[in-house]
Parts: sequence; structure tokens; C-alpha cells
Amino acid sequence: MKTIMDLREDLDTGKVTSNELFSISNKKAHEYQDEFNSFVTIVDKKEEQESNTLLSGIPYALKDNFSTTGILTTASSNILKDYVPVYDATVYKKLKDAGAILVGKTVLDELAMGGTGTTGHTGIVRNPWDKNRQIGGSSSGSASAVALGIVPFAIGSDTGDSVRKPACFGGIVGFKPTYGRISRYGLFAFASSLDHVGCLTRCVKDAAIVTDILKGKDERDMTSLPDEDIKYSDVIDNDIKGKKLFYIKEITDLNLYKDAGEETLEILNKFKEVIEKCKKLGFIVEEISFDEQLLKAIYPTYITISSAEATSNNSNLTGIPFGPRGNGNNINEIMFDARTKGFSELIKRRFILGSYVLQKENQERLFKNAQRLRHLIVDKMNELFKTYDAMILPASGGIAPKFDSEIDRMSDRYLMLENHMVIGNFGGFPSITIPSGFVSNMPIGINITGRVFEDGLTLNIANKIEEALGYKGLIKEEYDV
Amino acid sequence: MYKVTIGLEVHCEVKTNSKNFSSAKNSYSEYPNENIDTVDIGLPGILPVANKEAFKKALMMALALNCKTPDIVMFDRKNYYYPDLPKGYQITQETKPVGVDGYIMVNVNGEDKKININNIHLEEDTASLDHFNDYSLIDYNRAGVPLLETVTEPCIHSIEEALAFLEALKGIFLYTGVSDARIDRGEMRVDVNISLSKDDTLGTRTEMKNINSFNSVKLAMETEIKRQTELLDKGEVIEQETRRFDEENMKTIRLRSKADAIDYKYYIEPNIPPIIISDDLIDEIKKEIPMLQFERIEKYMNEYMLSRHDSEILVKDKKVSDYFDETVKLGLTPKESSNFIMSVILGYLNKFDMTIDKFFFTPNMLYDLITMVNKGEISSKQSKEVFLKCCEENKEPKKIVKELGVTQITDDKTIRDIVIKRLDERPDLIEDHRKGKNTFNYFVGEVMKETKGKANPSLTASIIKEEMEKR
Amino acid sequence: MVTKENLKDYASKLMFDMDDEGYSRTLKEFETVERHMELIGKIDNIKNIEPMTFPYVIYHAHLRDDIAKDCLTNEEVLANAKDTKANQVKVPKVVAE
Repeated sequence: MKTIMDLREDLDTGKVTSNELFSISNKKAHEYQDEFNSFVTIVDKKEEQESNTLLSGIPYALKDNFSTTGILTTASSNILKDYVPVYDATVYKKLKDAGAILVGKTVLDELAMGGTGTTGHTGIVRNPWDKNRQIGGSSSGSASAVALGIVPFAIGSDTGDSVRKPACFGGIVGFKPTYGRISRYGLFAFASSLDHVGCLTRCVKDAAIVTDILKGKDERDMTSLPDEDIKYSDVIDNDIKGKKLFYIKEITDLNLYKDAGEETLEILNKFKEVIEKCKKLGFIVEEISFDEQLLKAIYPTYITISSAEATSNNSNLTGIPFGPRGNGNNINEIMFDARTKGFSELIKRRFILGSYVLQKENQERLFKNAQRLRHLIVDKMNELFKTYDAMILPASGGIAPKFDSEIDRMSDRYLMLENHMVIGNFGGFPSITIPSGFVSNMPIGINITGRVFEDGLTLNIANKIEEALGYKGLIKEEYDV
Repeated sequence: MYKVTIGLEVHCEVKTNSKNFSSAKNSYSEYPNENIDTVDIGLPGILPVANKEAFKKALMMALALNCKTPDIVMFDRKNYYYPDLPKGYQITQETKPVGVDGYIMVNVNGEDKKININNIHLEEDTASLDHFNDYSLIDYNRAGVPLLETVTEPCIHSIEEALAFLEALKGIFLYTGVSDARIDRGEMRVDVNISLSKDDTLGTRTEMKNINSFNSVKLAMETEIKRQTELLDKGEVIEQETRRFDEENMKTIRLRSKADAIDYKYYIEPNIPPIIISDDLIDEIKKEIPMLQFERIEKYMNEYMLSRHDSEILVKDKKVSDYFDETVKLGLTPKESSNFIMSVILGYLNKFDMTIDKFFFTPNMLYDLITMVNKGEISSKQSKEVFLKCCEENKEPKKIVKELGVTQITDDKTIRDIVIKRLDERPDLIEDHRKGKNTFNYFVGEVMKETKGKANPSLTASIIKEEMEKR
Repeated sequence: MVTKENLKDYASKLMFDMDDEGYSRTLKEFETVERHMELIGKIDNIKNIEPMTFPYVIYHAHLRDDIAKDCLTNEEVLANAKDTKANQVKVPKVVAE
């Protein structure tokens, strides 16, 4: 399957025109829509814009929680089912300016809260490698659109692991740079202190190319980082000899998974093979020990902080200045009705939890303790990053789950292996998932998380490992046309 | 009698070009929903971007209220649902406000009193609701306008003190230029907390919110004190609750009790990074704070020996006070300057609805005018006429005096010649004068007639006296 | 201990309701979170840790210059409102507080 650079060459040599590329993407989008449900909206009219960037004329998909003027933007929630924004997200604007062509707005877990791709208001998203399996989420449609070969890249958002987990399940690359590297203006907020914009691509280099376009200071986002004068795509081939990686014993030690299923064991074994390959490449890789108490607290901490921020961030959804109007005799009844009908139960449960942890009498014990725990974990990571350049771990402890299986992310078995990528959000660290092989004919992935602000080095390390592993541009045969 | 304890929370809009967290215009508008950015209406995906000027003005006000300012300022979210709050939360300051533990001095019936400030914090205003028979309309123009909330300690013990504080606070807003504090436009709103007790322990307080004129504040306090007094007299207890002042029926009405109090679930606004306050910034802002009313009154009374009454009139408007200071700097005595300003200029400005800074007659002109009076070149009565003529014709006093020819005759010989001529004509009256009859004024009148009133009156009088005695 | 009635009250303060099973499921989730958070509360010294809001110390917080810019038109402001009148958003009468 072709990467952005392949398509760039085709465009530049006149092998294909951007109109043709758009038509192909548009056709595929429609063709796969019933089966996989990647999109909330498929754009049928090509945006006419030209530029001389690497992305000019390249089709892409955008998660349906980015504001796009004149194009329906639902966040896959009934409460925004007819919302047509009047302004552009900075990310969308930058892509337009770069000449990239929007093919569609992709399905997400409702309001980006969830990791299954099953909670969007327009139905479930299926995994291209096995239609009976989830693609994961919340950037579900963005992952499936790239994994299906509809587009070479897609934009997602990542609050826990919402770009990197579905990338893993779809056999593609998912990257979220340092917090603040890409402006969040126009990204519908889930948990502002954890929200990142990220991209899903077929290879590390494409992730670097897309991030080069998206990054930069935005006057609309006070947390956005100042401009840098490096291009990540220029540094990804740097020599990595002597760079130091670590992995966490308490997450990867096979002895801890004696009663785990075959697939988990195979994933862990394959991870050890990756480690060996890394060493051959010239990396120094070491196993380190991380306080288990902290690791086990990652997910409850994440749920506590993210639900609290989410309940506040979504308080604007009342159906008054925008969104479907509720019925009722007075203003409170109207808001009440709009919100009761507009949110699914899952969302409501998170909101109740979020408001509970913020209540005056609980805040110290719950919300603030979670923020303290976050601090401890980030401090520990920064300590490790004094010695090491990146952390490497399996991106998931299993292959993409079937729709009927229920993963309880709070269960002890999965608590650490399934949730460690949230660390990247806690500390705003650049973090990337790349494919690392197959288990039970389903793709698996590894995750590399680097030092804050060092997006270039993180991509550099990932690119070198990707070269060695050879799983670049994966796509299931039947979709590779 | 019960001891009254009052705490005040005063909201005042800050004067800026743009809103607190967006670039939409911050201006009073006749047209609804015209000054609105994506942020102000709470559209999905928006982020607040804090306004430097609003922030500086908040710090200035904190310093003017003698508050301690923190090294790092943060913003918080106050979460609640109301149709005038489109985001579903208000950005305010709870954790690290711009100022804490301050005070200001006020004068109540001639006595100085210190009012302690608990804190002052920067937040944003809500949308405005217009109510009709069976519906309301929402105008978001006001949503996001920077708002400063000043919270006093419960240290105010009379209605007079409360009102003196409000006037003083308003004065500080105006003097620092932080706000126009236009009460008629709802730019200043007051929440009042009142409790009564028999001794020094605090009684149970009630709160009245959003009172939008000082007179209403006065009435509301009177009404609530009366209500609480009656309850306590009957041996009943006061409940901690929020009440609404119904001005039409002069009563306060229960809105909700403490049990129903909203938990605002404050937490730090994650989209606004902590803002570091440098000593340089504090010094820079301190330099921009002018001398305030209370201090000016002290100066006028103690250094200039003006009465409290006059001093208070002069400092009411900073521009008048600045004008006065300027004339004193030029060399007028405080007394002569303040007399002319209060007896002539303020009346004139009032009559033509003008402000002193937009008015032709500068401090320099007042200096020239009064100096001419002092030199005897014109009379003090003439000075008022010259002033009016200056304003009418936009000309300097010296020019007007020249044109009108109102300059006094102060030349001894000119006047003496006239006096001698008149005395020669009426020896009979000189005779009468000797006999004790008062004919003196006849000669003064004759001199004035001949000089068209320009002869210097005191000089004329002394010459007549001299010449009569010679005969 | 949190009850279903509590949850219903919390939900109503967030301006929504759900069916009874929803509250049962919420209650179960609460128990799990509470159990985990209790463990976190027992970590040594946790009280002495500064709660973290921002992923890292942000040194570059620039405030915006106070310049008013053109923003949304009245049509854009009202574009997604379901009920409008006289260039404003119309709602049932709000009883003044």
C-alpha cells in the first residue's frame, strides 16, 4: 500500500492527478462504508486548494471531533447530530493550507470517550483484518480508513491512547507528539490536560511529514508550544547507535502472566524478539523496575482525571445556543431533556463519576489524589528519561477484541499491560505505536514513548525500529488495490 | 439593638478593547450578538486565551487595594448550569487570585475606617437575558467581558460604612482607569451578606445577589436588617440562605437555603498555563497607579488646609482633582484655585454637560486669570465674565481682557485728575462731608461713571479720601 | 456510602437522567474506582505531592495583546440555534434569580 511519499511521487511525476486520487479515495470510502462504517460524513466534492507542501493533493480523513466550517461535525454523539460548525479547527485549517484533500469525517467513540469503536451514534466500526473484531478507539474510523487503504493518513485525538491503540489493532502507525506541539483549537475537548492531536499513517516517515505540517504555536491555544526550526522528517534517519531504551519488568515479565491466554504470551514473546532486534540495531536496551503500586494506579487515575475534566468540558452541550433543542416547559426542563436524550448511558456514567470526584467533599480524596498520582508517575518517568532516550513496550496485551468479548480495563490482568500508554498523556510525552507482527492473523504493535519535547528523536527511534521489523504499509490483501 | 455585620462582593467590568478570553470587542452595544467570538458562545472545541491588559488591570486594582499579589496566578473553572453561561462553567480565580489580604481606608462621617479585603479576582461576565411575557432572549455580547470581583471581609458594621466603601471602591476604579464603573449600564453589581448578633460572635448571614445600584444596596440592607431584627426580637432563628431584594415591594424573598447551595466543583482551568508575575511587572504597574482619593483628601486637608467638604468635592472626579493639582503646581494658592473651580468652573461644566479634560479653559488659563485679579488688573467680578467669554470664544483670558478693554485703570494720575475735577465742581458736597454727611460715595460713582467702571475701586477710594482731606 | 438515590441526584445536577440499570451499573463502577482510589490514598506521602494539572511546567504562557478583532457575524452566532428571535437565542421564560 502506498505511503504519502509514494503518492507524492506519483503526483509529481504526473502518474496520477489529485482529482483522480480524490475520486479513488471517495469511491473506496463509499464502497467500504456499509461494512466498516469508518465515516460519519463522506465528502463528495473535492476541496479546491493548491500548495507546494508534501501533502498537497493527498487525501486524508479527519476525526469527527474537529471543527470544520460548513461540514457536519457530530463527535459521534446524538447531542451534536446536526451541528454544523462556523469555524475551522487549526489542524483542519493547516491541512487545507497545505493542500491536503479532506475525504471524510470519521466515526469515533461518542465524544472520544471510549476505546472500542462501538459507541458512536451512527453505529460500530469494524476492524479491516477481521470484521468480527473491534478496531479500538476512540479514533476508530480514522484507524479503519487508513487500515482499509481509503486514505494514506488520518487525524485523530488521543486522551488515553485513542490514536495509538486503534493504530495497533489496525496494523498501522499512530503517533501523538508532545502535549502542545499541535494546537487543540477546534478539537472538541474531552479532558483538556490530557488531550492531544495525533495522526494515523502507514509508516513513521508519514507521521513525521504530517506532524511537520500540523505543529507550531497557535495564538488560539495558550498551551501550544513555540515554533521550532527543525523538521522531524529530516531527522528520522539519524544514527541511533548508543541510544538507550528501557522496558518495564512489571509489565512485560512472562512470569506475571502464567494464567494468561496464548495470545498474550505470544505478544510478550514477540516483544522480546523486538528487543533483541533493537539491540542488534545498536540500541542499548535495559529492563527496569517500576513501582507496581504506581502502575496499577494508572487507569483509575486516568478515569478520575479524564471524567472530571470531561463533565466540565461537555457542560456546553445543553441544546440552547446549538444542538438539538429539548422539550419542556421551562429552561431547566429543556436542557435536561436535551442532555438526557443526547448522551448515551456510558457517557452519563462518566459524567456522574467526574462530577462526584470534583465534589467539594470528595475532591481532595479523589480528584486531587489522582492528580498527585499523575505527578508521581510523571516524575518517575522524567527520572528514567535522564538515563534513557525512550521507553519501549507492547502497545496492547492482546489482539483486537471481538465485539462480544468484554474487556474490563480495570481487571487486574489488564490493569498495567493494557493501560500503560496513558503515561504518554500524563506527562505529555511524544508516543508512537508501530506494527510489530501478527498473532492469530491479527496485527500487533509496539509503543515507543520519548522524552517530552523530543518528538524528533522519538520518531527517529521508531523509524529505525520500523525499518528493522519490516512491517511498513501493512494492509490486508483484499483491500490492497 | 443588634450589632450589624456586612460583607460585600462587588463585581465590576474591566475597561479593555477585547474580552477576557477572546478577541471579540468589549464594548457596550445596542445590537445583540454582534461582539462574539467562538469562545464566548462556548462552541465545541474552543480554548480561552487570556487578555494581557485585563490581567494587568486586575493586578493594578489588587495593588491599589493594598493586596498581596502571588508569584504565580492561575485560573479556575466554576461549574454550573444557567442559560446565561454558554460554556457551562465560568472561568474565575479560586486557587491563586490576583490579590489577597488587602484593605482600603474610607471616611465615614469624618472618621477614618479600614475595610479589609479578603481577595480580588479576575473572571468573566455572563450573557444577558431579556425577559418577556412567556419567553426570554439571550444576548451573548456581555459573555466573556472581563470582570473583577472584590470580596471584603465581614468587617463592615453599618449601612453608612458599606456605602462609603462602595463609593471609595468606585473611586479607585475610576482613578486607576480600570473601569468606568457605569452603574447605569450594569458595569458594577453588588452582592450583600448581612448578619446580626447581640455580641461579638458572628450571627447567621443571608446573602442578596446582583443588586445594581448603590441606592438599591442601601434599601436592600435596610430591609434585610429590619427583617432579621424582627425575627430575632421574636426569638426566632435566622437561616443561612440566599435572598432576593424585591425593591418594588420593599422586601427580601428567599431564593434557596444553604442546603441547596450549589457545589461549583472548582478546579484549575487546564487551558490557561500558570502566569508568572515578575517583580518588574509589579513595579511597572505600581508606577502607573495615581494618588487615590483618600490620600488626596488627606493632602488637601493637611497640606493645603482646605476643608473636608471642599476636598471631597475636588476629588470626586479625578480629572477635576488633577486640574486643581496642576493649577497649584503652576503657582496658585490652593484656596484661590479651589474657590474658582468650585464656584465657577464646576457649575459651568455641569450646565453644559462637559468634562474638565475636554474643556477649553486649561489650568494655565486659570493661572493667568487669577494672577490678573491678584495684580488688580481686573476685578474678581470681572474674572467670571472673562472666564465665560474665554469659553464662549475659545480665546485665552489675556486676549479677552485686551479685547474687552476691561483692564482696570490703576494709574494714579488718571484717577486723581478726574477726582480733582469732580471735587472742584462740587465744593458744596465737600462741605456736607465735613458736616458729617456721607457724600463720599457720590464721588466714587462719578469716577466710575467717567471711567466706565474701569477705575480700580480701592485706589479710587483712597485718592478721593486724600484729596478731600487736602481741602 | 453512595446510593442509587445519590447518583440520581448527581445526574440531575448535571441535567440528565437515565434508567435504573444505568444507575446500577454506575454504582458498580463507583465501587471499583473507590477501591482503586483508596489504594492510591494509602501511598506514602501522597498528601505532600503537588497535584498536577499540566503535563509539564509550561514556561511559555503568553498573554494575548488586547486587540479587538472581527469575529462571528450574527448569522454565524445563531446558525446552530434552534429557536431565535430579534437576532437573539429564544428560550422559555427564565425565572430571574
